[in-house]
Amino acid sequence: MRLNELNMGESGIIKKIHAKEPLKSKLLSMGFARGERVKVLKHTLAKNTFDVDVNGINIALREEEAREIEVEKDN
Amino acid sequence: MVEIKIALVGQPNVGKSHLINSISGATLHVGNFSGVTVEKKEVEFERNGYKLKLIDLPGTYSLHPYTPEEKVTKEFLINEEYDLILNVVDSNQLEKNLIFSWQVADLNKPMVIAFNMYDEYSRAGGEIDTDKFFKLTNIMAQNVSAKENFGLEELFEKVIKTYQQKNTPRIYYSEIIEEEIENIKEKIKNCKFDKRFISIRLLEDDEDIYKIVHEKPWFVELLPALNESKKVIKNEYDNDDLKEIFFEERLALAKGIVSQIAKKAQKEKISEKIDKILIHPILGLPIFLLVMWIVFQLTFSVGALPAYYIGEGFSAFGNWIGNLMPNGLFKDAIVNGIIPAVGTVVMFLPNILILFLGINLMEQTGYMARAAYVMDGVLKRFGLQGRAFIPLISGFGCSVPAYMAARTLKNPKDRLITMLVIGFMSCGARLPIYVLLVSAFFAPSIQGDVMFAIYIGGALTGLVVAKILRSVLFKGEPEPFVMELPKYRFPKIKSLLFDLWIKTKMYLKKAGTFIALASLTVWFLSSFPRADIIKEYSYKIKHAQGIEKIELKKEMNQKILENSYLAKIGKIIAPITKPLDLGWREDVALLAGLAAKETVVSTMAVLYNGGSSSNKTLIEKIRNAMPFTAAVAMIIIVMFYSPCVAAMSTFYAEVPELAWRIFYTIYPNVFAYFAALIAVSLIKIFS
Ligand SMILES: Nc1nc2c(ncn2[C@@H]2O[C@H](COP(=O)(O)OP(=O)(O)OP(=O)(O)O)[C@@H](O)[C@H]2O)c(=O)[nH]1
Repeated sequence: MRLNELNMGESGIIKKIHAKEPLKSKLLSMGFARGERVKVLKHTLAKNTFDVDVNGINIALREEEAREIEVEKDN
Repeated sequence: MVEIKIALVGQPNVGKSHLINSISGATLHVGNFSGVTVEKKEVEFERNGYKLKLIDLPGTYSLHPYTPEEKVTKEFLINEEYDLILNVVDSNQLEKNLIFSWQVADLNKPMVIAFNMYDEYSRAGGEIDTDKFFKLTNIMAQNVSAKENFGLEELFEKVIKTYQQKNTPRIYYSEIIEEEIENIKEKIKNCKFDKRFISIRLLEDDEDIYKIVHEKPWFVELLPALNESKKVIKNEYDNDDLKEIFFEERLALAKGIVSQIAKKAQKEKISEKIDKILIHPILGLPIFLLVMWIVFQLTFSVGALPAYYIGEGFSAFGNWIGNLMPNGLFKDAIVNGIIPAVGTVVMFLPNILILFLGINLMEQTGYMARAAYVMDGVLKRFGLQGRAFIPLISGFGCSVPAYMAARTLKNPKDRLITMLVIGFMSCGARLPIYVLLVSAFFAPSIQGDVMFAIYIGGALTGLVVAKILRSVLFKGEPEPFVMELPKYRFPKIKSLLFDLWIKTKMYLKKAGTFIALASLTVWFLSSFPRADIIKEYSYKIKHAQGIEKIELKKEMNQKILENSYLAKIGKIIAPITKPLDLGWREDVALLAGLAAKETVVSTMAVLYNGGSSSNKTLIEKIRNAMPFTAAVAMIIIVMFYSPCVAAMSTFYAEVPELAWRIFYTIYPNVFAYFAALIAVSLIKIFS
């Protein structure tokens, strides 16, 4: 499952970053590392842009980037 | 005195600018533009017999650079001469920040860490044991608050101590990696860089370092060993991505150390609560528009109050000086040329300061990043991205820092498109022109709305143009959008005031030098040649009585103006702007605006007012002299045509391609002309 498929308030554990360099390094440096929990706090009406929490840090990213992050949804 | 040259590094938003502003007794060389830290800033101050020189490097997430600014930081750290690295860390985000610290520590330079925002962190129950941190990493560290001014002096003591002892970090990775680092290190022969640093960077596929060393004679021998080492690491970690392996290695190290040195703070909940409203999926956009509307209303209505008194003050000052000076050319130049023009420009300082205050407040409180989030969906539709919002909104302040802020856009196409439309966001210097024309031609009750419409209209046009550029000239994928949303914070008043003070100083300096000179030139061009006319009139005036004398003087001045060099220039271009109903005075003012937008109003003041800097009479005069269509045309041209020389040269400096420079120089003017033409024609058809 990919991060963009999560709904508001749902969370999951990051499994893999599929993005290519240099985006991958960027995502890593902002805290999207394997094993971290990520939670979707908010997204815009059309699910274009997401506001997520990784390790206590708020990050905004687009659907295109969220799609590059594989997660396992929490129950 | 011994100078310690210190590179100040940290991830974005950790408070480096605040730290610099909080150092007491420091001389600050704030480049030209404060606000977003894009350019190099330097501070110098003395402590314990040393001269400390801090160089502020752009905020950087990683030494695998992503943005051009991050490249600047990396290049500086690798290639420049400096004695020590001062790494500022946000205490609230220890793990994420330390991942960067370890990379910097690899450079093997003397290094000190400042755990900033400690006020916030300790209030939420957090604690950091810096002694233990030192034992674990051999890096001296200090808990500080740039906002509440504590820990800074202790920090500088540690800086000096670290410098004296040449104390370098000792950060070790896991055994597998350390072993391979040793293997590579052996193969590196003479090299001005630290061997351990080079080995680590080569192992994690750093292309920049690879480029530096691959021409060395010993590299041939190193390469097989390097490939072997990489293979070993990849196998051990069961991962093909060395950058990711090193990242995870550093994260694990950070987690381990944080668990030993820090007591976790409680999670802050307020930001999340505020975000529930401010970036609400439906309400977010209207709230943002409302905020912008309020900022512009305040700029216009509150700013108008002091403006009146400043105008009156300059008027009185002009009269006073005029009475002291002997009659003659010199007095004429000062009283009729410089004082009214400078006065008119200074009068708009309050408006500009309020606008900047608004933008600064948005930035400091953390709302700016939210606005980018809210706007991203909209901007995406126009082929831009949310992050472009920051340069675009800065464009409302001044195009110069806006062009530089566009560096945060990594993709060259995104950057260029954004930069090409920044000019359509009306900068602060254009505000006086709008204020003048709007007050003269629109009813007071709708003036605020007209102003808002001008700004929004300009911005929307910019977006449409961006879309057209994107689909015609720059096809392709837009740049990724990943951005941190910082916590909401109360701004530090001193910092806000400091920024405003710098803006004021720069504005007044410009008014006193550049604009004074420009208006002197305009005055000269508008007052000469005049020998013949003066000769003709001086006899008449001498023999006239009372009222007649004044009338004759007025007539003479009018005649001088109509025959002046300036009128000649204006008349050459007059046929071009005739369809827009603009007269030669407006033409000249607009031309002068290419030098600096402030001179448009000052030129109008010289050309229409001939001496009085009172805003009231200027408004009266242009209302009587210009048709409504001309005012609209002028507003539209100012909205779209080329920005000032300073902004244009910044653009040229940022964009190396000649073709784009030429395009940028021509298209806004053509666009402005036709936009004004359409508007004027429409008004004529409908009235
Ligand atoms: N509570 C608290 N807030 C701080 C402190 N220092 C800075 N801030 C806040 O942190 C935010 C960012 O501060 P800046 O000084 O602009 O950060 P910077 O590191 O210069 O950011 P870049 O320009 O991106 O490099 C502002 O909202 C400050 O008010 C501090 O010591 N305590």
